[in-house]
Amino acid sequence: MALGKAPPAPGETGLGVTALDVSTLETYGTHTLVLLRHGESEWNLENRFTGWVDVDVSEKGAQEAINAGRLMHEANISLDIAFTSYQKRAIKTLNLALEELDALWIPVTKSWKLNERMYGDLQGLNKAETTQKFGDEQVTKWRRSYAVPPPPIKDDNPYHPKLDPKYKNIPKKQLPLSESLATTIDRVLPFFRQTIAPQLRKGKKVLIAAHGNSLRALVKILDNVPEDKIVGLNIPTGVPLVYRLNRNLKPVELPGHAELISGAYLGDPEWVQAKISGVKNQAKAR
Amino acid sequence: MSKHATLVFSRHGESEWNVANIFTGWVDVDLSEKGLGEAKGAGELLKAEGLEIDVAYTSFLKRAIKTCNLALEAADQYYVPVNKTWRLNERMYGGLTGLDKKETVKKHGADQVQIWRRSFDIPPPALEKENKYHPCHEAKYADLDPKDLPDTECLKDTIARVMPYWEETIAPALKAGKTVFVAAHGNSIRAIVKMIEGLSDDVIPGLEIPTGTPLVYELDKDLKPLPTSLAVEPLKFGRYLGDAEKIRAAAEAVKNQTKVG
Repeated sequence: MALGKAPPAPGETGLGVTALDVSTLETYGTHTLVLLRHGESEWNLENRFTGWVDVDVSEKGAQEAINAGRLMHEANISLDIAFTSYQKRAIKTLNLALEELDALWIPVTKSWKLNERMYGDLQGLNKAETTQKFGDEQVTKWRRSYAVPPPPIKDDNPYHPKLDPKYKNIPKKQLPLSESLATTIDRVLPFFRQTIAPQLRKGKKVLIAAHGNSLRALVKILDNVPEDKIVGLNIPTGVPLVYRLNRNLKPVELPGHAELISGAYLGDPEWVQAKISGVKNQAKAR
Repeated sequence: MSKHATLVFSRHGESEWNVANIFTGWVDVDLSEKGLGEAKGAGELLKAEGLEIDVAYTSFLKRAIKTCNLALEAADQYYVPVNKTWRLNERMYGGLTGLDKKETVKKHGADQVQIWRRSFDIPPPALEKENKYHPCHEAKYADLDPKDLPDTECLKDTIARVMPYWEETIAPALKAGKTVFVAAHGNSIRAIVKMIEGLSDDVIPGLEIPTGTPLVYELDKDLKPLPTSLAVEPLKFGRYLGDAEKIRAAAEAVKNQTKVG
């Protein structure tokens, strides 16, 4: 238990209303896949474009991760294996959630293929300032178009991934200078097929703790969400999204599933809905 | 003889049952606040030394896993792959599991407890399967071959189940020239250190490995250790990172856990 912290206000955690339990879930499909988007990061607080920059979760983000673990615990979810990115906000979210589940011992595979979308030369820039500089329409295009990437990161940008030791083993031509959602999917999909899918087929219950866009990529892959819809699909932070897949790894539509997708979020449905609507107004210049 | 690979051990720091002075073994107790700090401190020492870890190994027990994660985080290497195995678990303490250390001394006498704690091949009495602390009740051991699941272990037994992991998994990584970090427990570290240092059966049980202080070995391509003048007796090849006096004091403190009065 966290020392000296006031308990969260009722309605802030989504806990206590178990809409879904593993016993219900297991009547749908064969395989379990849980997706978890990391919570608030330090740069969310500063309203800066993050991408591959390795910022930490904020205090609130850490609490969101712990809460996610509790939500899974409440639903009696057990896990066999987990995947995450190279980025600490996702890894930490994973470790905090696993600790709540008493599952810190399960194997974890980290891969840059699950990283957030790489935000090119926008990385590090304040969102409101960027909007003032380039205009609402251009920024919206970079943020929410399917195939238009932000400008490639400049060679002298301090946030260039070539300066980051975690990417020293990636061949230069694979190292992105900027990504759209389309190119993010291009590197998530093979990883899902080659590395994650075989575990699911073995009957392992899989948790993937990752980022808004790498999870959008996975959801698009799983549910075949159309391009114009996936860009606007908000996957709320810190809310486990449970998928049940059939033997062919196709998702089975779950009761209480979210709009456009087959998976269902854990927790109080009202709380979940409020969270889904919550990601807004970050780029509106003040 | 030139350096081909680096092997770094870190014994997890103070646990909740260290504080309560209870024999722990395989019980999955957490780190105390102090232990969390020791893990972070270990990572800071790794960073200060300029060690770039390629791969980490740890046990199934959260006090070691959290030490591993916190140390890597403090060393700015949180993205390093971490492999967890029951084979790096602490020695399983059999029937002493869950018992207070000083009470056990009062009950059985210091000599008997010393034998159970520090003999090479005399294990504590077996833990009954009905005991709530028996690992047979835990999901994390569900995939183990039943004959691998211990009711008790002496150090010799611990070594026997650690070394296959060394041979099959850790040694090949070192042979490939990797810098390896092992975040584990007093006895699982003793197992590997015994082999590297060539320590005898009667010396190894008394080797105190300070907590939270990285122990570094440089190995040649045949995984023979390179000697160092910085080694602290009885070690010839391993050197501790950090403050030498603190290291000596910490080793003494572990010895004193069963001193009564």
